[in-house]
Amino acid sequence: MRRLKVFRSLVIDSIDATTKGSRKYNIWMGFLTFIMLVGMYCYSIQLDQGLSVTGMSDRVSWGLYISNFTFLVGVAAAAVMLVMPTYVLKDIDFKQAVLIGEGLAVAALIMCLAFVVADMGGPSVLWHMIPGIGVFNFPNSMLTWDVIVLNGYLFLNISIPFYILFRRYQGKVPNPKIYIPGAVLSVLWAVAIHLVTAFLYQGLQARPFWNNALLGPRFLASAFAAGPALIILVLAIIRSFTDFKIKNKTINKIALIVTVAAQINIIMLISELFKEFYAPTHHSESAYYLFFGLDGKTALLPWIWTAISMNVIATIILTFKKLRENLSVLYFCCFLLFVAIWIEKGFGLIVPGFIPGPYGKIVEYLPTKIEVGVTIGIWAMGAFIFTILAKTAIGIELGKIRYKKKS
Amino acid sequence: MNRKKDIYILACLFAVTFYSCKHGEGEYHSLHDKIEAESKTYHDTTMTSEAFFNDIKTIEITEGVHTFLIPERKGQIKSYACIECHTESLDKLKSKDMKKAHWDINLVHADKNTMNCATCHNGNDMNNLNTLTGNTVDFNSSYKLCAQCHSSQFEDWKGGAHGKRIGGWVPPRASFTCVNCHNPHSPSFETRWPSRFNTEQIEESHEGLAQ
Amino acid sequence: MSDNKKWYSLDLNFKKKKETSGSCGCGKTSGGCGSHNNEMTDDAFLEAAVNASIGDEVRKDGFDQVFDVKMDRRSAFKKLTASLLIGAGAVSTSCSVVTGDDSKEKAQIDWEEQFKGNYKLMSDKEKKGTVERLMRSYELRTGKNISMTSENAKEDVLFGYAFNISKCQGYMDCVNACIEENNQDRNSQMQYIRIHEMKDGNGFKFDEADDNYYHEVPAEGHFYMGTQCFHCDNPPCVEVCPVQATWREDDGLVVIDYDWCVGCRYCMAACPYDGRRFNWSKPEVPEAEINKNQHYLGNRMRKKGVMEKCTFCVQRSRKGQNPACVEACPTGARIFGNLLDPNSTIRWVLENKKVFRLKEDLGTEPKFWYFMD
Repeated sequence: MRRLKVFRSLVIDSIDATTKGSRKYNIWMGFLTFIMLVGMYCYSIQLDQGLSVTGMSDRVSWGLYISNFTFLVGVAAAAVMLVMPTYVLKDIDFKQAVLIGEGLAVAALIMCLAFVVADMGGPSVLWHMIPGIGVFNFPNSMLTWDVIVLNGYLFLNISIPFYILFRRYQGKVPNPKIYIPGAVLSVLWAVAIHLVTAFLYQGLQARPFWNNALLGPRFLASAFAAGPALIILVLAIIRSFTDFKIKNKTINKIALIVTVAAQINIIMLISELFKEFYAPTHHSESAYYLFFGLDGKTALLPWIWTAISMNVIATIILTFKKLRENLSVLYFCCFLLFVAIWIEKGFGLIVPGFIPGPYGKIVEYLPTKIEVGVTIGIWAMGAFIFTILAKTAIGIELGKIRYKKKS
Repeated sequence: MNRKKDIYILACLFAVTFYSCKHGEGEYHSLHDKIEAESKTYHDTTMTSEAFFNDIKTIEITEGVHTFLIPERKGQIKSYACIECHTESLDKLKSKDMKKAHWDINLVHADKNTMNCATCHNGNDMNNLNTLTGNTVDFNSSYKLCAQCHSSQFEDWKGGAHGKRIGGWVPPRASFTCVNCHNPHSPSFETRWPSRFNTEQIEESHEGLAQ
Repeated sequence: MSDNKKWYSLDLNFKKKKETSGSCGCGKTSGGCGSHNNEMTDDAFLEAAVNASIGDEVRKDGFDQVFDVKMDRRSAFKKLTASLLIGAGAVSTSCSVVTGDDSKEKAQIDWEEQFKGNYKLMSDKEKKGTVERLMRSYELRTGKNISMTSENAKEDVLFGYAFNISKCQGYMDCVNACIEENNQDRNSQMQYIRIHEMKDGNGFKFDEADDNYYHEVPAEGHFYMGTQCFHCDNPPCVEVCPVQATWREDDGLVVIDYDWCVGCRYCMAACPYDGRRFNWSKPEVPEAEINKNQHYLGNRMRKKGVMEKCTFCVQRSRKGQNPACVEACPTGARIFGNLLDPNSTIRWVLENKKVFRLKEDLGTEPKFWYFMD
């Protein structure tokens, strides 16, 4: 009963905190709301007319939505890079960053689910997927595994920070015996969500571009580069806009993670390129299409070469410790990496999987405005959710939001 | 205590993995094995394809081990029986003052050294066909004539690999005979426009018009 | 308006709001607005009600500034809200005493159809029930009758298909017959069958083949190869479906429950043979051209956002008839039959001709063989 009361007061306090803010904060939230509404409008058109308003076709049957979904699973998984040292290794540096990371994971997961729903042909019958009411094709379908691990991860990433913040809100110290097992579990879980998402594609014998053993590990490497890169950028923003103190040391440690992951990612990329182009087979055609174009169809060329050059430049710069410790260079590199991996793990992975088609047909894919509108809307929703979560969490951590016992 | 928990967790993991890797369809190694095994206990289905023959009258033939139905032919020939006209000799019928019946038949079947009218028709017995050796063949069994040269096609036809099947897939089997698809006087298929065009082609041709 | 009890179980307080707000969502403040009209049809009522509720919201948080074009904004939200209200609408209309028996029955059917289970798991009685509902629903909507069956797989039947690449001349009669038989969407020109024109001497080079040819056939120096769903015995599409909306029947047909499909298109990505099609928009067939002889798993009308595919014309083949493509083929290149019947023609072909299948190395075990003379 008392807990419920505290909870109610926490909700009220956090609503209070999130609705009040500086002018900049209000403009930011208003801007996000506007984008979300545009996205909703686009989605309503898609609901009304069907997925024919997107650029997808029978040839390329997954596009921007699934690309973003895949990428965001990686971002969500990357929260683990902060959870692991903080909770398990008791590394004090990461403690402030970890709540941000987990908030980011929650926002990314909600975006993932939104992208999947946006991609569905029949969102009104999605209840068919709920175990018990519907039919859940577990364990045969990797998509059901993905549903389980994503929702499980979402639950973990909501409950652990919530427990910690709930204790802090009451001015108590969180009990490590309660949250550490959860943290350990979420470490394993994070690897699982990205691996399972990779298996979603890897298990399709119909698509040789995906059906390779390196896909899963490469997903992990790129995720552990892009995710923490995003966290560094977010921390940089939080540092400059709030009183939340984040030490340079923390950022440098995350930068080290980004660097190592980006290096591993490059090594795997080289290995993949070698396999596709040293002894090209019929199965290398998708890679050919991606990097050089096939039959004069070259829609992805500018994207992938931009991504590769950004990726390589960022990795080279990050490799030098001196450059890495210069914060503005670091932020620039993180931005490069994030965009590069977004292209590579999104567009660059999903679309070529369908090209050429099972019978060699090459039909290119370009997202329509409506598709882009929905996508941007979902990103805005993610940013919105993250801002709310971060504002509450920072408020509690700084002691601004505290439970006041009413007499 | 901890160890027990670990073992428990491991056991659960193992169970999940085991359950996941179990394939319900593992009964047969391949589709071939499945067909072989399951057809051992095959018994005739109760369905019959006769209802789908529509108005086609059929006759039963037996060739080797195959017994099946083919469309009856004589009733389909416009001016059967032939001797109703062919009462006179061919020379006389060919003369100018007689009414023409099928004078426009042009034989496009093998070359002139191999075939002429008399390869299949017997001027003295117009109601029947005749084989290379001069034996009589009924119009309903015209396939026997074709089989003299086209032996491999004949084999395929008997088995069911050549020739269009009528009605349904259930027994009794009924197949078109040679002359149902091939004109015996000009047996090869002619080129023609497809009965429809594919989607993208039509779109492209529209674009072409717009330009 | 207040005596008009149309929203029994799920009264969304539209009326109250309307009274307090004093104007309705159509944007007009003076009379003449549709939602104050007493002689409304059900649809109009729903529309008006939704309008009204949106109208109130608009006033509150100023969507007007967001979307300049009034109609667009409103219709957008109308659609969103309406989709959420489908269920609610069905309930309320079915509970209504005012509406006619027909629309009441229609709503009742819609409700039951929306929340029915997976066909694969239905008992024979339930299958019959849904088929009867669908037939009745069609009758109520169009005034015309269709016949739909829910015939199960026969025992001792496993369907197989053989395609003679020496015989096919590329006439495309099969494609035409398939479209007519299976009520495929005419707007997107959906086709289950593709005929690939290949150059002699090049082998099976699908990437160099042309499935869009536009000339007289057969073209000199070319041969033709048809592809469609191969009804694999180990179908990857069935494995990946998250809701078991597609499965392999006992007679080997790989079928889809169109009403259970959620439209994720995972099966499409998993199919190595381009056997599956998606309804990107609402499929449309002119009423006069609809084939009214239907099967639940076969050629009944599909809806937007679901998968569909060749079913070897389940509505025909389960009765013993040949699929439409086999019947239409003028060259006899298509052979269909029961793989379990040792005397069937398909078995003779498999045992006596040199047969092969496409992408056999993938282990999908297609039940669709190719052979030559």
